[in-house]
Amino acid sequence: MKESKTKIKGSKSTKAFNVICYTVVSIAAMVCLLPFIILVSGSFSSEQAIRFEGYGLLPKEFTTAAYELIFKVPQTVIKAYGISIFITAVGTIFGLILIAMTAYVISRKDFKYRNVFSFFFYFTTLFNGGMVCTYIFYIQYLHLKDSLWALILPGMFNVFYLLIMRTFVSAIPTALIESAKIDGAGEFRTFFSVILPLLKSGMATIGMFLALGYWNDWYNAMLYINSEDKYPLQYMLYSLLQKAQALANIAGQASIPVADLPSNSLKMAMAVVATGPIILVYPFVQKYFVKGITIGSVKG
Amino acid sequence: MKKNFLKKVLGVALSMTLVAGTLTGCGSGQETKETQEKTETEGGAGALDTSEEVELVMYVVSDRPAGQDAVDENLNKLLKEKLNCTLKINWIGWAEYSNKYPLLYSSGEAFDMAYSATWLNFASLANKGAFKSLDELWPAYAPKNFEKATDAAKMQATIDGHYYCVPTLLSTYNNYGLIYRTDIMEGTDWDGKMETFEDVEKYCDIVKATHPEMEPLDISASGPEWQNVFMFDQGMSYVTKGLNSLLYDPAEEKPQVKAVYDVEGLKGFLEMMTRWNEKGYFSKSALSDTDSGKTANGKAAIKIHNIDSYRDISAQHPEYKFAFSNFVKDIAHLPYTQDCMVISNTSKNPERALAFWDLVTSDQEVYNAFFYGIEGTSYELNDKGQFSITDPDLYTTSAMWAARTDGLNLEQVGTPDDYQTSIDQYESQIVDGKGNEKYTGFVFDTTAVETEVATCNNIYQQYFYPLVLGYTDIDSGLEEFEKQMKVAGIEKIQEEAQRQLDEYIAGLE
Amino acid sequence: MGTHVKNITQEVKKNKALFVMLAPAVVIVLIFMYLPMSGLVVAFKNYRYDLGVFGSEWNGLANFAYMFNSGTGWLITRNTILYNVLNLITSQLISIVIAIFITEINKKHFQKVTQSIIFLPYFISWVIVGVFVYNIFNYETGMLNTLLTSLGLEKINAYSKPGLWPFIICAFNSWKWCGYNSVIYIAAITGVDAEIYEAASIDGANIFQRIRYITVPCIKPTIITMLLLQVGRILRGDFEMFYQIVGNNGQLFNATDVIDTYVFRSLLQNSNIGMTAAASLYQSVLCLIIILIVNRVVKKIDEDYALF
Repeated sequence: MKESKTKIKGSKSTKAFNVICYTVVSIAAMVCLLPFIILVSGSFSSEQAIRFEGYGLLPKEFTTAAYELIFKVPQTVIKAYGISIFITAVGTIFGLILIAMTAYVISRKDFKYRNVFSFFFYFTTLFNGGMVCTYIFYIQYLHLKDSLWALILPGMFNVFYLLIMRTFVSAIPTALIESAKIDGAGEFRTFFSVILPLLKSGMATIGMFLALGYWNDWYNAMLYINSEDKYPLQYMLYSLLQKAQALANIAGQASIPVADLPSNSLKMAMAVVATGPIILVYPFVQKYFVKGITIGSVKG
Repeated sequence: MKKNFLKKVLGVALSMTLVAGTLTGCGSGQETKETQEKTETEGGAGALDTSEEVELVMYVVSDRPAGQDAVDENLNKLLKEKLNCTLKINWIGWAEYSNKYPLLYSSGEAFDMAYSATWLNFASLANKGAFKSLDELWPAYAPKNFEKATDAAKMQATIDGHYYCVPTLLSTYNNYGLIYRTDIMEGTDWDGKMETFEDVEKYCDIVKATHPEMEPLDISASGPEWQNVFMFDQGMSYVTKGLNSLLYDPAEEKPQVKAVYDVEGLKGFLEMMTRWNEKGYFSKSALSDTDSGKTANGKAAIKIHNIDSYRDISAQHPEYKFAFSNFVKDIAHLPYTQDCMVISNTSKNPERALAFWDLVTSDQEVYNAFFYGIEGTSYELNDKGQFSITDPDLYTTSAMWAARTDGLNLEQVGTPDDYQTSIDQYESQIVDGKGNEKYTGFVFDTTAVETEVATCNNIYQQYFYPLVLGYTDIDSGLEEFEKQMKVAGIEKIQEEAQRQLDEYIAGLE
Repeated sequence: MGTHVKNITQEVKKNKALFVMLAPAVVIVLIFMYLPMSGLVVAFKNYRYDLGVFGSEWNGLANFAYMFNSGTGWLITRNTILYNVLNLITSQLISIVIAIFITEINKKHFQKVTQSIIFLPYFISWVIVGVFVYNIFNYETGMLNTLLTSLGLEKINAYSKPGLWPFIICAFNSWKWCGYNSVIYIAAITGVDAEIYEAASIDGANIFQRIRYITVPCIKPTIITMLLLQVGRILRGDFEMFYQIVGNNGQLFNATDVIDTYVFRSLLQNSNIGMTAAASLYQSVLCLIIILIVNRVVKKIDEDYALF
């Protein structure tokens, strides 16, 4: 009698909760999806239609002019994709191992100086040398000018990701490390064969963030890359867009002939071109966010 | 104990960075000083030694055109023969110039020459030691150019007592006014006049009535611009470009520097703008509109700028008809430093660089090869001597705009007929040493008031822009604007400007 | 000092492998972050290109003056902190709620699709958000006013109401980061041992109790880390966001100006490297002070949650 009562109560509240869940998540999804649809349709609208009628859910005066501008020289775009994929892959793989390893060490409760090192890393998020000195140092002493390493190395070790990763590592029971030690495993073996397999969701998260960071980074390319054949995709697109904006900005002050570019639809098309591939990768990352992934390993 | 250790780690880290910093020098100060001394002692030698072949490196601000290689090759053949040198052009793209351009001079990279301009903060960079002084080099190695440069141009190139750039030899004028559509007026009872604010209002009313889909005035986030038209119409001049809050009247015997809120008739102007706002001549959200191409794309009817913009917009949009009405009564030359060439502190061959510059700005063949590219391939000439660009995607004209020189510069096909007549008219109106022309050599050195200038520019944008567009109440808005400007130190700048202006006038006599 | 050295050498001996694992990160951080930091001295110098950072003359605190000489320093500092606090609370709260809701959804396909969709705004750069904001709020043709007029209501001139903008900015910020942040929480929730949930449902806990007594406590360390990380940037405004949404519209500055936008506008004309560094140093020092205080408080409450 008593038992069935709680059951009914439970299912009732569960049902109500489910309704709320679905509604809230659906609304949130709509709010996030609509602008994206507008963006895609904007990228296929003519510049004049956007100017006079604004944006809508469907393309106005359908045209592919903006994409044609981006893909004017298809080889450059393909090359830029290649560069982006290269730096994203290399940076993410090495960065991920580095971050996971470091996070593991600074979350070890028996490691005496973990707070000191945490602070040593954290401090760099508060202070930095400023653009000028960083630039000079990288160029003159590290010789990173026009080198792809300038796009990979500075972003490889992100302290924010390190500290988030630390919370994932901390969630792993200390007992596991101890039992591994008792089994005679060295620190490296403990880390690679015991800790890493348990870090899947954390690794998926941080790996995705690293990849997104590399994929979206145009700033380092702007500072350090000179030759156009080393432009990553985002910077290639960014420079296209900036050209229109910069010319408009200085037109008031300078005696420079200014030509017009389809800036509105171009902005939208750029976003589509740059986002596309990463959206395709997302589902692969998602499969690691499955509830209870740690179960087997903990038991084993 | 833990805390002490933490302190120590911090200390060690910091001292390490400092040591590394001194080792690396973070900018090669001493080196440049040495090279500077060297060239100064050699500078007086005069005759140019071309026995050794050199590669000159030039930086320009623009995106590299696809067809640049062929143009370079063609030019270098000429240069090899005439000066035993080649030119390598490096490009700072539009996406990066605002960050990278100042960095160019602090990175210690060796290059010879670069484009500079008022909009690239030429004066401020020169003040901070970014360029090589040209006191001896310019007259010695670019004598023809030096001779052609006017006295005013030389004064503008002088910062802190030294020449720091070679200004353009192309005359430009301080004309400013309305670029407006005439084709949309066809079939209306418009009287064709566009000389006063009343005319503008009449024109706008007609646009409103006949073309409701258009905005009569093209105003966007870059600023309202109409305050400039008003100031120039009143005969006022800005103390310096980039500081729009201080003005003077060049017609006065001893001009007094005035703050913008003290200019006569300002209230009447603001009342008119408020009325225009209410009539809907422009958007109530114009200051957030980033679209600056509304006139060029047929969305707006009147754009404010100069005759060169009028020429460009007419050439680019033959489907519309434009006219230009200048609102500046007192025509004078614009500063020649608007476009200029600077020699880098790190230049290894400043003599050859200047010799090259002398050649480009005096020899039509080299000028064409440098500026327009290859005849028949990148540009074509018609029988009137006007040039047209064959394929804008491949090559337009050089981004080294400072090379443009009166007499060498060609007119582009599609230039409106009244362009050259207006220019000639401007030139004929100018009387040396009178009105605005008297002050073209005046350069306001803001070093002493840099902090105040930074703040005042901010206040101007924050409080005055909305006032100009009639978004805020005139009386309380003006009062607040004045109060904020005073707190920001406008009076200190005013004093400094007055002192420098008086000095300038005294120096003329 | 002697004892410290002894302690360290002892520790290194004991945990040699751990130090080896730490070494690559330490070297990278030292080279790429600490060494360029020496450049911060330029904040106290009158920078000249020909003299370089270390050769330039000292000029005391003159580079800091422009931020404070008209009383704006206080206003922009306050704005920056308020915006960060507001954004921090709303965006984290929304992310947590979304993360919990999504993980509670049983239909796998719906779960996956919505999760992907919510991530979309992250890819929309602020430039485009700026375009959207203008197209929503502009007085004449904006979507908001078109909607209001079609409903027979009066138009709103949003650009003349600075008071609205903190909410608008906050809403867009949450919108953009919600997917990104919720990934962290979703990962944290999925990391929770499923057995605990099973045990709880056997004990008859309802869904609310489960969330309250299992999910929330389990992701608490993540929440606190995220909060602490955000507090560490409490004086840094997201420049792109403010610049693209507000732009040059002076009407809104009093309500929307943060340190980064103010500095950007002030130095547009003279590209003063010393002044830029001064602003950044001011932000860094204040951040350091605040984070040290907050971290100490957190440590007092529960040592495990402290950042360092």
